[in-house]
Amino acid sequence: MAAILAERRHGFGFVTPLLVVMLAAFNLPILYMLALGFWSKQGGFTTEHYAALFDAPIYLRVLANTLRISVVATLVNVAIGYPLAYWMRGLSPRAQFIAVACVITPFWISILVRTYAWIVVLGNNGMVNRLLQWTGLTDAPVSFLYNELGVMIGMANVLLPFLVLPLFAAMLRIDDRLMQAAASMGAPPRTIFLKVFLPLTMPALASGALLVFILCLGFYVTPAILGGGKVPMISNLLDFLINQIPRWEQASAVSTILLVVTLLIFAAYRALDRKVGA
Amino acid sequence: MTSPLGARIVAFLGIAALAFLVLPLLIVVPMSFSSARSLSFPPPGFSLRWYEGFFGDPRWMEALWTSLSLAFISSILAVVLGGLAAYGLRRGTFRGRDVQEGNFMAPLIVPTIIAAVAMYLGFAKANLLGTFAGLVLAHTVLSVPPVMMVLGVAIRSFDVRIEQVGWSLGGSWFYTARTVLLPNIAPSLFAAWIFAFIGSFDEVIVTSFIAGTYETIPKKMFNELILEVNPTITAVATLLMAFTILALGISAWMLRRAGKLRETLL
Repeated sequence: MAAILAERRHGFGFVTPLLVVMLAAFNLPILYMLALGFWSKQGGFTTEHYAALFDAPIYLRVLANTLRISVVATLVNVAIGYPLAYWMRGLSPRAQFIAVACVITPFWISILVRTYAWIVVLGNNGMVNRLLQWTGLTDAPVSFLYNELGVMIGMANVLLPFLVLPLFAAMLRIDDRLMQAAASMGAPPRTIFLKVFLPLTMPALASGALLVFILCLGFYVTPAILGGGKVPMISNLLDFLINQIPRWEQASAVSTILLVVTLLIFAAYRALDRKVGA
Repeated sequence: MTSPLGARIVAFLGIAALAFLVLPLLIVVPMSFSSARSLSFPPPGFSLRWYEGFFGDPRWMEALWTSLSLAFISSILAVVLGGLAAYGLRRGTFRGRDVQEGNFMAPLIVPTIIAAVAMYLGFAKANLLGTFAGLVLAHTVLSVPPVMMVLGVAIRSFDVRIEQVGWSLGGSWFYTARTVLLPNIAPSLFAAWIFAFIGSFDEVIVTSFIAGTYETIPKKMFNELILEVNPTITAVATLLMAFTILALGISAWMLRRAGKLRETLL
C-alpha cells in the first residue's frame, strides 16, 4: 500500500518549490482579485460592482472600442501574415532560416522598443510622412500617431509573429504531393490553392487568429503609447482604476470579465490547436 | 502550384511583410546617432550625445542596475524552480500533472494586465508592494513558462535509462543529475536562462503596477514615452535591441549545437 502511494506521488517533490511560489505570487492574488469583485464594502457578497459597470456608459464604450480595435488588428494580422507564411514555405532552406530569424527576433525585442520604433517612423517628421510629402501625395503631414490608426498599426506589427510562426509551421507539414496530385488532374493553380491548400491551413489560421485576438484584448503598452491617452482600451481603463482613482472593486470586476472572456476564447483556441496537431 | 504572376505577387507581399516587421526597428538605430533633438528623418548629423545622456544620467544608471539585478536573480530562480518542476512533470508519475503544467504555463495565457492587477491587489494585502522581494517573486513567476517550454523539450528527449544506469551504479539523485543529466542538457539550460533573463529585463506592465518607487529601464522608458518623446530613448532602444539580438544569437547557437533549435522554436 505504501509503495503504491509512494508511486502515485513519485516526482511530486520536484514540483513543490515552484508550486509554493506560484500559489503565493500568482494563484492567490488572482483568487483574491476574483473575490474582491464580489465583496461589498459593508462586508458580504454583492454583485453591485458588476451592476455598476453596466450603468456607466464609459465602460461599455471602452469595451466596444477594445473589441473593434482587436478585430481590426486581428484581420490586418491575417491579411499580412498569411501571404508571408505562404511565401516562406516556398523558400530554400537557407532563405527560410533567414526569414524565420526576421520573424522571431522582433518577437523577443522589447515591446517598448517596437512600439517606440513606430513613433520614429510615423511621426510628423518621420520617414513615412517625409516620403508622402516628397512624392507629393500629401502637402501636410498625415497624423498617424495618437489615434486609432496608430494603435492598430502598432498592434498588428507587435503581434504578427504570434500568427506567422504557428501558421508557417502548419504549412510546412502539408505534403507537397497533395498539390501535385491536384495539378496532375488538370486543376489550375488558383483552384489548387482554394480547394486544397487553403482548407488545409484553415485550422492553423483560425487558431493563430484567436491567439492574436486574445492578446489584443489585454493589450496595454502599445495603446497607451501610440494612442496618446485618446484611444482607451480595457487595459488602460484598468490602469486608471488602479493607479489613478483607486477603485479596486471595480477594477476586479473588469479584470474578472476580461479573464473569463480570455479563457473561453483560449479553450476554443486549444480545441482548434489539437485539430492542427492531429 | 502557383502561376508565375501569382508567385511574384506572393513574393512581393512576403517581402513587404518582413519589411513591416523589421524596417521600423532598423530605422531606430541611425536615429540614435542623430545630432538633432527632434526625430526628423534622415538625421541631420552624427553624434553620441544621446548615449552620453543615457550613461551620464544617474537615474538611468540606477534603473539599469535595478533591471540587471532583478533579471539576474529572478531568471536564476525561474531556471532552478522551473527546471526542477519540468523534471518532475516529465519523469514523475504523480496525478494531476496536466493541471500542474497548465497552472505553471498560465502566466502566458492570462493577459499580463490581469496578472498586474491581481498582483497589485494581492501584494498590497501582503505588504509586498514596492519591495524588491515582490518584484523578484512576480518576475520569477512570469519567467517560468519559457523555461518550462525549453527544458521540457530537453528533459523529454534525454533518455531516462541513462539516468537509471547512474542510479543503479550507486549514484545519488543529485550526483547523477549533476554529472549525467545537467551536462547533457546544458545548452538548453543556458537558452532557458537567457529567455528568462530577457523576459524579466523587458517586463514593463507588472513592474509598472507593483514596483512602487523602484525604477527599471522599461518602466522608466514607458513613463517617458507617455509624457514626451526624448531622443535618449532612441539610444536606450538601440542598446536594448543590440543586447537582445546578441543574447538570442548565443542561445540559438547553443540550441543548434544541441540539435534542439527547430524543436524548441516551431
